[in-house]
Amino acid sequence: MTRLNGKTAVITGGATGIGLAAAKRFIEEGAFVFIFGRRQEALDAAVADLGPNTRAVKGSVSDEADLDRLYAAVKAERGTLDIVFANAGVGSQLKLGEITAKHIDETFDVNVKGTIFTVQKALPLMGNGGSIILTGSSAGTTGAPAFTAYSASKAAVRNLARTWAEDLKGTGIRVNVLTPGAVATELAATALGEEGLKAYGAMTALQRMGDPAELGAAAAFLASDDSSFMTASEVAVDGGLAQL
Amino acid sequence: MKTLEGKVAVVTGGSSGIGLATAQRFVEEGAHVVITGRREKELKEAASLIKRNVTTVVGDVSRLDDLDRLYAVVKEKHGHIDILFANAGAGTIAPLAVATEAHFDQTFDVNVKGVFFTVQKALPLFKDGGSIILTSSVSNVLGVPGFSAYAASKAAVRNFARAWTLELKDRKIRVNAMSPGPIDTPALATTTGLTAEQAQQAAAQFTTQIPMGRRGMPEEIAAAVAFLASDQSSYVTGVDLAVDGGMAQV
Repeated sequence: MTRLNGKTAVITGGATGIGLAAAKRFIEEGAFVFIFGRRQEALDAAVADLGPNTRAVKGSVSDEADLDRLYAAVKAERGTLDIVFANAGVGSQLKLGEITAKHIDETFDVNVKGTIFTVQKALPLMGNGGSIILTGSSAGTTGAPAFTAYSASKAAVRNLARTWAEDLKGTGIRVNVLTPGAVATELAATALGEEGLKAYGAMTALQRMGDPAELGAAAAFLASDDSSFMTASEVAVDGGLAQL
Repeated sequence: MKTLEGKVAVVTGGSSGIGLATAQRFVEEGAHVVITGRREKELKEAASLIKRNVTTVVGDVSRLDDLDRLYAVVKEKHGHIDILFANAGAGTIAPLAVATEAHFDQTFDVNVKGVFFTVQKALPLFKDGGSIILTSSVSNVLGVPGFSAYAASKAAVRNFARAWTLELKDRKIRVNAMSPGPIDTPALATTTGLTAEQAQQAAAQFTTQIPMGRRGMPEEIAAAVAFLASDQSSYVTGVDLAVDGGMAQV
């Protein structure tokens, strides 16, 4: 399949997990992909894995100067940008009663503010036919114990797509949310532990965790013209977890 | 890469609009399709547009005998089903104050009872791991004056996807609803009971309510249905995929 032939994509949080799986899939479908992440080691490993149609830029989505460097690199090498997968996110648990201001700030800086500036700063490079994909979470529509900050931040992300579909009216740029549930990623394993992850997977209708590659496939659908009449939509890739 | 190579797909309401475009896309992706619809002439014309790997069975999804005949043909021809697109639907304008019992029954007979038995009767032929897609509508979450029976019937369809996801989970059959927004198909002008002028006005009004500023094309819905039919959506089940230009999303 070559649905993304000649397209240029940016994937934040692109060195591991869902971001890396999406990068693989985008490249398989013909795209040139810039991955953006905080850890040089992980970026190097990802580039080695992804091959020649990849560039890595080190930085944090919560730092505007880092984002400026990312898009300067895209502009210098490719000139324009077709696909933004604003996927970088963090999540850790603190029960109501134990929540700190720092915990809230850290979560919202990356998941909400980071997503907003990832997209805002990409716009000058984007045009008609562009596709923006935001990573939401099934936690954004369900109660998830001790995930006050994370769940609220992901509910915010889902709503960003609504407003932006209106703000982007007339530009030909679409914006949609990809909503994972129980996905076997490093972030999820760190937050829940291996046992917790298994139990989480068992709660889904498909009775298993999702593979990051399955999220990558759905991201490719949203990135491609196969979703050309979709904007402000949400694609839940959660094995039915939050759908029933 | 073709995403549906060698798959057997059944498409109800396959002679025009979304159903026809989807049957065409399925065949492009490598599938064999069996399409059904009530009107023999249109069905034959659809088959000649699809050109290859297509079988037609005339029938009405609200008649259980017709469904039995449909699946008898599928069984004889292919022996099994991988993909079912339960897409046949009907909607005519009838404000609450003047709607008749016949209007209500017709709407629910096709959209609710028809979908229910289209899926039930497919199950004996269904391969484990297959995909079922139900055509709902953005009206499943919107108030649409004059179309309350239609909108309610489509909300019922969306909910079928929830219960059936659970009922069929051990067979690894995924069930999803797909909700189109206003689409540029012949149905608005020919089947809703609107006059040509009313249909034109409705189309123009839709456009102002859609963030993308236009109605969708049947091919765009077909592309989304092909996603739900294929392994690209292997971890997607129980969802309502809105393909509506943002109409019911903002």
